[in-house]
Amino acid sequence: MTELSHVGKSFRRKDGPDKVTGRAAYSEDIKLPGTLIGRVLRSPHPHARIARIDATAALALPGVKAVITVDDTKGIRHGFVETPRYPPDQEVLARGRAVYVGEEIAAVAAVDHLTAQRALELIEVEYEPLPAVFDPIEAMKPDAPQIHPSHPKVASEVPYSNIGGRTTAEWGDVEEGFAQADYVREDRFESHLRTHGYLEPHATIAHWENDRLNVWTSSMGTFIKRAKLARTLDLPYSAVRVHKVYVGGTFGGKIDLYSHEYCAARLSMITRRPVRIVASREEIFSAYRHGQPLAMELKTGVKKDGTIVAQQIRVINNSGAFRGSGVVVIFLAWGFTMIPYRIPNLKYEGLSVYTNYPVRAPQRGHGCPQIRFAIESQLDAIAEHLGIDPVTIRLRNAREPWEALPNGDNVHEAGLIDCIRVAAEKSNIGERYGRGRKASGTIRRGIGMGVSGYFGGSLIYPNGSGVIVKMNDDGTATVLTGGIDVGQGSETIICQIVAEELSLDFDDVKVVASDTDATPQDIGAWISGMTYVTGNAARQAAGTARRKMLDLVAARFNVAVETLTVQDKVVFNRHNPPQRMSYRDIVAYSIATQRGDTILGEGFWRTMRDEPTHPSLATTKGRWSENYAFSCQVAEVEVDIETGEAKLLKALTVHDCGFPINPALVKGQIDGQVSMALGHAFLEEIMTKDGFTLNPTWLDYRMPTIHEMAASDDADVITEQYVVGKPYRTKEVGEGLVSGILAAIANAIYDATGVRLTSTPFTPDKILKGLRKLERERRGKN
Amino acid sequence: MLEARSAQAQTAPSIRSRIIELFVNGERYEVVVKPRNSLVEVLREKIGLTGVKHGCEQGACGVCTVLLDDRPVLGCLTLAVECDGKRVRTVEGLAQGDRLSPIQQAFLDQGAVQCGYCTAGMLMSATALLERNPKPSVAEIKKALEGNICRCTGYNAIVAAVQQASGQGVEPVMR
Repeated sequence: MTELSHVGKSFRRKDGPDKVTGRAAYSEDIKLPGTLIGRVLRSPHPHARIARIDATAALALPGVKAVITVDDTKGIRHGFVETPRYPPDQEVLARGRAVYVGEEIAAVAAVDHLTAQRALELIEVEYEPLPAVFDPIEAMKPDAPQIHPSHPKVASEVPYSNIGGRTTAEWGDVEEGFAQADYVREDRFESHLRTHGYLEPHATIAHWENDRLNVWTSSMGTFIKRAKLARTLDLPYSAVRVHKVYVGGTFGGKIDLYSHEYCAARLSMITRRPVRIVASREEIFSAYRHGQPLAMELKTGVKKDGTIVAQQIRVINNSGAFRGSGVVVIFLAWGFTMIPYRIPNLKYEGLSVYTNYPVRAPQRGHGCPQIRFAIESQLDAIAEHLGIDPVTIRLRNAREPWEALPNGDNVHEAGLIDCIRVAAEKSNIGERYGRGRKASGTIRRGIGMGVSGYFGGSLIYPNGSGVIVKMNDDGTATVLTGGIDVGQGSETIICQIVAEELSLDFDDVKVVASDTDATPQDIGAWISGMTYVTGNAARQAAGTARRKMLDLVAARFNVAVETLTVQDKVVFNRHNPPQRMSYRDIVAYSIATQRGDTILGEGFWRTMRDEPTHPSLATTKGRWSENYAFSCQVAEVEVDIETGEAKLLKALTVHDCGFPINPALVKGQIDGQVSMALGHAFLEEIMTKDGFTLNPTWLDYRMPTIHEMAASDDADVITEQYVVGKPYRTKEVGEGLVSGILAAIANAIYDATGVRLTSTPFTPDKILKGLRKLERERRGKN
Repeated sequence: MLEARSAQAQTAPSIRSRIIELFVNGERYEVVVKPRNSLVEVLREKIGLTGVKHGCEQGACGVCTVLLDDRPVLGCLTLAVECDGKRVRTVEGLAQGDRLSPIQQAFLDQGAVQCGYCTAGMLMSATALLERNPKPSVAEIKKALEGNICRCTGYNAIVAAVQQASGQGVEPVMR
């Protein structure tokens, strides 16, 4: 095997120099002459009939150029999911009824911010408040206020109100499985509401010019944005150009079509001027889409040795007032249940319940941290009951390489067993686990383990990525990719792959990215598959360009391609080195002799190429992914048993991402996910009352600061390899690793204190309450 | 609720503007500002320095951090009129031509940049730290950067970057 020059190396970010000098342009940095400022009027009620909207006074205000309500739209609905079972369900502005606090009612465009603000105040809206419901269990009751009728297919199956969607899956026979079990345990877990925490606020500038719409918007995929904007505006896709901008963090919160994006576009179409809308942080906290709080009921049966024989799981999702990604998270909670461990008999039900909260979005991990927290916590409790250690019970159930998953997928070279073994060895958990509870003093240490698995790419619009590599006549290459760099480093790794395949220097590869006019279609940075899908397309495109060049040289010297070697942008005959041509000469030669061929390479890739579409969200039937990543994470925590304060001291992440194309970028993803999980565990919580957000600022919502950072070690159990000219298999690394570590933290707190936490966040009051309960039990026994 | 509470909206536009003098990254500017205009607004919208990022407008995230007479300040909580006659440094002023400053280079070398939105503010806080304390301890680094939130990196790489830039034996992890 030839040694790799670029893949597997930690090259500095391609976008790095622009980002450290302030040259990188984000949406809000785009300046167009004559730009109007747009603002959005939002509902002050969690549920109300809109009796009347009168914008006369607002329109009469000098400086106001346009006001739109739902009557100025075509009434075309959109949704995160748009399938026959779950058709688009949300309009871009409220029609007749507002269903959550902050729902978009109207939008204005004015000459400046203050005029726009003043105009909002002059819009008269007459509301007739309706009863609202916020708790999903309450919302499911027959007499609950109806936000939307239950999904017709679900309504015929279960008798609950406000059901937006349902996922069911079953294999084996759970009753039979539980009957065979030596121990059956039932628990209920809950997770809470958190914001994504991207530092760049949502920002969009739209400009309608020459019958085309130009858009710069903070997103996770320009092609999905183009599709949704074009559809809701009733324009051909090709009439919308979404330009490349840098994106200041997303974490799942910038995928869907957001109302302000539509409003900026529509207001520009009316005023014929550029319109910019930037969401305030208070708006983002109060009205934008956050992650999804799940309630999870688990019943698990095991044999004496810890082997899982049956599992029954029910997940209830508080999905907010429209479907959003609520019907996806109940599918994914099933998926993240079945990946890491063998479950011979399973019965799963997920319900997505409407409440009068803002719509929910995917959030890094999208159901995985929640369900792994539940499963891994319960597994530790089971292990303790059986007198087994946390490592042994995980090894007992972990999937082996090449196992088939119940949905027909295969785990290929799954590295889970190695991950668990390496994590156990590096952390020495076997020796340290169980000591914390026996220690004395007020500061207790604990150690805990968590496992997770994650899919890497699935089928959802636009399903495939194309890449073009064009040779420049100075012998360098430019790669055109629709892939969007949201901070994960996609531009860097795509350039590494192209440099590897073309034997170019990293600096010889330039990238043009994520512009819907200038680059090919791309799946975007939101389905955990960009390195695999777009990366393979880039590999193929570069390989095509390379082959064209080699074929030309071979033909010119009448030698076999196999005798040629490429070095420093020169192709030469190994056996006769004077037979040589530089890339520069080859390009000129190609143009001269191949009817002007400037040497373009095209590549395209699609995961599961023979699969028509993604699996059924209702039944889980159908293939989901062809790449599964695995990880085992260990947390070391410290708990002050007087104050109940717990903190993460050290995280260890042992993962199987196939192989890292850029190890330092992988490490960056790991550290970021550990930090996010730490926020999930201890700090972050959106507090609400009657649908209002009580803490809509960074001062009242605690993001991890530099003082909360934890040591983060990692190890990569490499299971795949990269060979030039061949397809490769990388696995997900950007979001699943928020999961095992969250569970590991919970298990470490138990190890330190004996307190089993069943809901996030792990606050001092919950830990103290648990400690007091233990104390009472101890006294009761004595 | 979210929108309808801006009492100054009715009166603010009539307030007279003033001309202030700013020395930004070594160059002199005369700018017409309203008393309500924040420093970040003036730098971004009037002088065109969009490397200074606009964030929460609540003084909590730190992305708008710039140096005012060499001290880090939050651009969103500093009124431009207060800066009349003062020196302002922004991320655009860190490099000497094409040569990055050691802290800029260290951020690249350590993988301390991901989405890049916190980077400008981080670099300014770190620059101010290193100018007054050329060999800061980890605790001093944390203290100096405590007002700058980063969601992407988990901060480890950022601390390493400040250590590298201050010549404390931390080697680049990227090439």
